[in-house]
Amino acid sequence: MNLLAPFQYGFMQEALLVGALVGAVCAVLSCYLVLKGWSLMGDAISHAVLPGVVCAYLLGLPLAVGAFVSGLFCATATGWIKSNTRIKEDTVMGIVFTGLFALGLVLFTKVETEAHLNHILFGNILGIERDDMIQTVVASLLTLLVILLMRKDLLLFCFDPAHVRAIGLNTNMLYYVLLSLLAATIVASLQAVGIILVVAMLITPGCTARLLTDRFDRMLLIAATSSVLASCLGVYISFFINGATGACIVLAQAALFALAFVFGPKHGLMASRRRLA
Amino acid sequence: MTTLLTPFHYEYMVKAILVSGLIGGVCAFLSCFITLKGWSLMGDALSHAVVPGVSLAWLLGLPFSLGAFVAGVLAALGMGWVKNNSRLREDAVIGVVFTSFFALGLLLLSLYPSNLNLRTIIFGNILAISDPDILQVLIISAVSILVLGLKWRDLLLYCFDESHARSLGLNTRFLHFLLLALLSATAVAALQTVGACLVVAMLVTPGATAYLLTDRFGKMLGIATLTGVLCGVAGAYASYFLNGSTGGCIVVLQTVVFLIALIFAPKHGLLTARAQRRAAAMP
Repeated sequence: MNLLAPFQYGFMQEALLVGALVGAVCAVLSCYLVLKGWSLMGDAISHAVLPGVVCAYLLGLPLAVGAFVSGLFCATATGWIKSNTRIKEDTVMGIVFTGLFALGLVLFTKVETEAHLNHILFGNILGIERDDMIQTVVASLLTLLVILLMRKDLLLFCFDPAHVRAIGLNTNMLYYVLLSLLAATIVASLQAVGIILVVAMLITPGCTARLLTDRFDRMLLIAATSSVLASCLGVYISFFINGATGACIVLAQAALFALAFVFGPKHGLMASRRRLA
Repeated sequence: MTTLLTPFHYEYMVKAILVSGLIGGVCAFLSCFITLKGWSLMGDALSHAVVPGVSLAWLLGLPFSLGAFVAGVLAALGMGWVKNNSRLREDAVIGVVFTSFFALGLLLLSLYPSNLNLRTIIFGNILAISDPDILQVLIISAVSILVLGLKWRDLLLYCFDESHARSLGLNTRFLHFLLLALLSATAVAALQTVGACLVVAMLVTPGATAYLLTDRFGKMLGIATLTGVLCGVAGAYASYFLNGSTGGCIVVLQTVVFLIALIFAPKHGLLTARAQRRAAAMP
């Protein structure tokens, strides 16, 4: 078995690049989400993009636009219903995103573009087309740029919204910025890992990094590194075992998380056990 | 008129309608406890986490419910363990664990292609449910209803106020695991009808609808179960005419019922709230 074989194929090179890029963007955002406690939000928005994708397909718009709009709609509808009823936020979110996802499914069976559904749900990083790749790259770079420009404000918003308001920043604006970033990232990752596993890309790297460091800038760096590593590893391994690429990426991330969980120098299982002993 | 009755001429439709109604009812009954406890994310997580169990059970030739149940319980235990041993928030831990389980399931399915179709697991396929599967669903439903019927007072107290339950001498650890086990079991049953992605709707929406309509838990159970059964039956029936995904139809219907309750509920609806605000603003 030739270990360098994957690199000889054009589609594998592209997959490695796209995987690494998407991994990095998701990882950076995941640090903020983990701090803010928005893990469920990533899950909800990623499912809620489905009806938008189908409608955009019907109207002949770019799929990314539809996905972005319906992702934001899910988030705002959740916020609105929550503030107007006595139902808990997580329940409202569950209702809204499943309702949208089901609507997307019903629409989809009417439209019948069999091949596309699987790509949206499970990603198709190995067969990614030129247009989709450009979309992914543009969305990723845009997201990274916005995060970079606003990283201090966003960090403060995630840690302590009351403080943000006190020093005169607009928390509503930051809330929507973070939501839009989340939706944009999900749109960018759709082609690579698909709706169903995007939530892993948006949670796991941040958690891994959180176990390894107490400083936020290091956390960003560690999360991005571990995520890029996991993406490349996942793509590479999936070539040899001939398994689903998205699933391999997520499992590689889970493995890195497990390593950090057990061997983390300060907050790991071994370290805390040693402290107890 | 006769066209409206056509679905009932097909045995598979009748079966699908009945099974959807049954599962809708059981999930709705449990959903009252889940919404009170704030475990919506847990329902979502467990319904995804059962997938590797399903594929392993298929490979080993075991009944799929058994594999799914074991995987669900393992995932729940894993979440509890990681949470107690790290400084991560609970929602993040749940996310990490369930996506790992789900990815493992997808990988297994892609490595060992079987007649166990990926789409069946993700979207459910109630129209093609086999008789042994119906039997499994019946057993799961009967056991769940029995356990809920015997223990609902304890569970209610646990969901409302855990520390009070503990101070009364109830075994809250046991109740915690009982609720998790029930959740796994019903998730397995619901997997058949609506698939892994939409199970959470069956486990959340009816409870939330009922919560908007009443303040009494007994009535809430009744209303939730009723909407669950009706939506299951009507959704499966409508999917025949729409020629669309059955799970999608059931969940869309549940969401519509929820929205109606949200707007028109006599006491907690949006319209009432608006009228009250207006009345309060009047001098």
